[in-house]
Amino acid sequence: MKGWTGNILRVNLTNSTYKKETFTEEFAKKWVGGRGFAVKFLYDELKPGIDPLGPENKLVVALGPIAGIPAPNTGKAVVAAKSPMTGFYGDGNLGTRVSEQLRKAGYDALIVEGKAARPTMLYIEDDKVEFLPAGEIWGKGTYAANDWIYAKYGKGVGVLNIGQGGENMVRYAVVRSLEGRAGGRPGMGAVMGSKLLKAIVVKGTRPIPQADPEAMKALGTGDLKTVHELDKKSGWSVQSTNGVLAWCNEVAGLPVRNFRKTSHADAWKIDGERLNDARVATYGCPNCTMRCGITIHDKEGRESELDYENVALLGSNLEIFDLDQVGSLNYLCDEYGIDTMSAGCALSFYADAIDHGAADGNFKFGDAERAKELLGLAARREGKVGNLLADGSLRMAREFGHNSEAYAMQVKGLDVAAYNCKFIPGQALSFGVAPIGAHHREAWIITFELKNTTRESYGPEKAAKVIELQRIRGGMFEFMVACRFPWIELGWSLDNYPKYFNAVTGLNWTLDDMWKTADRIYALIKLHYLREFPQATRKGDYPPAVWFDPANADTEGPIAGKHLEIDKYDGLLQHYYDQRGYDKRGIPTRSLLEKLGLSSEGVAAEKYAKLS
Amino acid sequence: MRITIKLIGPLIYAAGFSEKEISLSGSPTAGDLLARAKVDKKRPVIITRNGRAVTAADALRDGDRVVIAPIYSGG
Repeated sequence: MKGWTGNILRVNLTNSTYKKETFTEEFAKKWVGGRGFAVKFLYDELKPGIDPLGPENKLVVALGPIAGIPAPNTGKAVVAAKSPMTGFYGDGNLGTRVSEQLRKAGYDALIVEGKAARPTMLYIEDDKVEFLPAGEIWGKGTYAANDWIYAKYGKGVGVLNIGQGGENMVRYAVVRSLEGRAGGRPGMGAVMGSKLLKAIVVKGTRPIPQADPEAMKALGTGDLKTVHELDKKSGWSVQSTNGVLAWCNEVAGLPVRNFRKTSHADAWKIDGERLNDARVATYGCPNCTMRCGITIHDKEGRESELDYENVALLGSNLEIFDLDQVGSLNYLCDEYGIDTMSAGCALSFYADAIDHGAADGNFKFGDAERAKELLGLAARREGKVGNLLADGSLRMAREFGHNSEAYAMQVKGLDVAAYNCKFIPGQALSFGVAPIGAHHREAWIITFELKNTTRESYGPEKAAKVIELQRIRGGMFEFMVACRFPWIELGWSLDNYPKYFNAVTGLNWTLDDMWKTADRIYALIKLHYLREFPQATRKGDYPPAVWFDPANADTEGPIAGKHLEIDKYDGLLQHYYDQRGYDKRGIPTRSLLEKLGLSSEGVAAEKYAKLS
Repeated sequence: MRITIKLIGPLIYAAGFSEKEISLSGSPTAGDLLARAKVDKKRPVIITRNGRAVTAADALRDGDRVVIAPIYSGG
């Protein structure tokens, strides 16, 4: 077997043991890596119903065959576990040197089990694994913890760490790396914290196995230069992802005031132009030549790295139109190690609930200073308000009552990314059927909807586009483990990825092989969901109820009076199910599972719920 | 007629402006603004008029706000 190390490192924190396990070529070809490995390991090894924040949960760090090898943009890793936000499979990816270092140490994946007796740092160097005390950095933020690790081991090591948010099991705590990178929105940092695992440090010294290393080197290094040239020519990274903010504001797609409004006259104050003007430095992930991380000095003078999602959800959605203050909120989320998006949605929901009389409290839209205090309370789980905020918008809504769940902006417990779909049906579908909750990573079809069809359409073309993008974005890029940006932002051809894969593995895969693998992975995530929620219905694939509410329609602008229509949305959802081969609940049928090579996984699921 | 052009993201730096009002005569179309904004003909863009997508052939009206953006992909 070429292209994979063929090894998994399994670590048990309860008894400080570890072992190297192997996997077969058949397994490698079926699941490839990254999200594919993670979903399979967790499906086979986690008993449904376990507490995501208990010792039975497992944290998976998984890489793919091209991860860590110089090529566009391969410096990423997938982190996964049962999610404390959603109650079923959750994952995320982040830029990290772990992608290269763990493979050089001889592993394609790491599985962490159990719970340490005291704060622990895991140190992996080739065959050596050490369980080191982390008391000195427990209680510290991610920046300080990272500095401490670098001082001890040097900057070349791979690091995954958590902040106070993860330690205190904030349900949307993330895993952090490389000072500015974060991943695992559904609470993978909280799972680390529940295990008293402060950090994972990895150093490897062996070559990554490749079928044709010379061919891969020639391909990868040349393509890194070409991607850099494409970026320079297009000017994309001048504003990076935040370029889209001004556009969303123009087309009534920006989240403002807990998604109540779709644009704001002051949005220009936090847009990509202002971000570029305020730029202090630029950062990127390993093996990236189109670096997207723009830092500014925040209100307190600290360097804070901003992108569109955090500017919109900590800025416009809270009606905070002061880029320095948005920088401060973002810095605090990064320091505490909590997801900027769910933190923004928890705060906006709280302000909205107070506004609508569903909750008592001291927080108003636009109050940046109070928002900073509240983030601290959440990260430390301090007092009633801190604990409420730390549990995220859905659980807050269930506590508040008064129908506030209608405007908790989430799907399956995971908060909606920063696109206001009040009248963008296809993107609303994309959030609805995103397999881990309302993540923008899986599919994003807004420009397609506006340009290639109509905003009013609920037709099958939108479902088809969602599936096409899910196979690419949530599929191939997540199991190969590479960043999608060269393709989506610069038009770097998808055909390059089978070339990398084949050079590394010696196989002869086409994009069609990639799509089949992607469908298999999506189907297994749905089985995870079904096993945890046997009574699941298609309502679980609906976006937030407020988007269907005529009273919530814009009163002016391009979509004045418009809102999503529930019957038509349900029809669009059915198009998606029909094209996927899912039943009326949104669950893969037995025949589809068989076609995807998942018959035994289907049998395992039927212990909990019937398949169609 | 008076038209406001708003450019998005990298298009701003190629054109040298972010937003401006211009005067047009005759029966201009949305596509006529691409040259004014120095948009590379090969670059795929999306044009909206008053927040709704239009094609390059669509006619403009006095007071329109026309936004030209690269094809974003949602990060």
